[in-house]
Amino acid sequence: MIYFKTMENITINIVNSIGDVFAVEAEDGQKVFELISKALRDHKNVVVSFQNVEMLTTAFLNTAIGQLYKDFNESDIKRHLKASDMSDSGKVALKRVVDTAKLYYKDPEAMQRSIDNILGD
Amino acid sequence: MTRLSSINNTFDSYQKLIALYQEHKEKMFDDISIELSYFFSANMCAALGAILDRFKSNLNDIHFVQINPEIERILLKNDFLTYYGRNRALDTHNTTIKFQKLKKTDGKFFKNYVMDELIEGHRSDLPKMSSGVKEKIIEAIYEIFVNAQIHSETEFIYTCGQFFPNKNKIEFTIVDTGIGFKNRINKRFNTKVSAEKAILWAVRDKNTTKEGITGGLGLAILKEFIQRNRGKMQIVSNEGYYQFDASSEVTKAFRGEFPGTIVNLQFSTDDKSNYTLKGEVNLDDIF
Repeated sequence: MIYFKTMENITINIVNSIGDVFAVEAEDGQKVFELISKALRDHKNVVVSFQNVEMLTTAFLNTAIGQLYKDFNESDIKRHLKASDMSDSGKVALKRVVDTAKLYYKDPEAMQRSIDNILGD
Repeated sequence: MTRLSSINNTFDSYQKLIALYQEHKEKMFDDISIELSYFFSANMCAALGAILDRFKSNLNDIHFVQINPEIERILLKNDFLTYYGRNRALDTHNTTIKFQKLKKTDGKFFKNYVMDELIEGHRSDLPKMSSGVKEKIIEAIYEIFVNAQIHSETEFIYTCGQFFPNKNKIEFTIVDTGIGFKNRINKRFNTKVSAEKAILWAVRDKNTTKEGITGGLGLAILKEFIQRNRGKMQIVSNEGYYQFDASSEVTKAFRGEFPGTIVNLQFSTDDKSNYTLKGEVNLDDIF
């Protein structure tokens, strides 16, 4: 007999995790990052809920979500992580953070090269 | 006595403030007297306050010996002079955005300040500003505040602003007395980038000095918004000057350096652009 292990779904509510409707500070992003990491390491399916979030910065999103691409591979994140209840502008910001993170961790030397480029300008 | 005359948001005005800092920066247990004449753009209180705090940390006494009555009226309304022993005045026309000195860790307090000064306090007098624009402006201000928190190594962050209802503009300035863009970048990459090039590098999309965490989006997104909003952004960091608006991007060098970073943002409040971007990104395609 074949057993299929069903993965458990976990919802991480941003407002509840950081105690604020303004998800703006990098430090608060770190709390959310730690929660998501823990759940993903434990092979859960994670839904990050942005319900009632009134303000978002890329600094928060970089820390909360961008950082995940350092520790987890892209396909695992795609399979096990979902975002919900996001405003349209929030979605645009998150997409940009995610695209930047994928590039950043694939090419750690890129920053050094861009500094060398500006020195050569 | 140092006379600060006609301070607005130009390269020359920042140069005058840098000259003030350079003139007195070595003084200790001294008296520093300042005259403010002709004009003083209220948002520049953030930069002046940061400089004067540097003097006060050397136990100097600051004296405003002469202030043009019009300037005095505004600097009493926006609370700046209350930091220098004066009584607060009521802002009946509600056009000032208070001067505020915050600890780097005062993020929650900054939120209340932004709500009071930019949203709640101006519901009646800013009917023209669409909610999309208002949200983008607050987001932009936050990105700069958080940048100062993360990167500058400053103890305090100074903010101030001013509404110009007749011109449909807001000026908002955020200042830190930290290490500056140049030192941050050179420390991280072991380079000798000039202050101007350091700013140019930092405002480019995806460039960041953070290690192990992605970044470099805040200033790039801010630039895109400034362009669409037909606003203006200026950065003064160490001896570097950077100005960006819809028609130009300029860098210059000052004589002498500012002890930290000034970011001045000018926004158009009558911007009718649609910033909602409905349906542009599907939630399932993000990761």
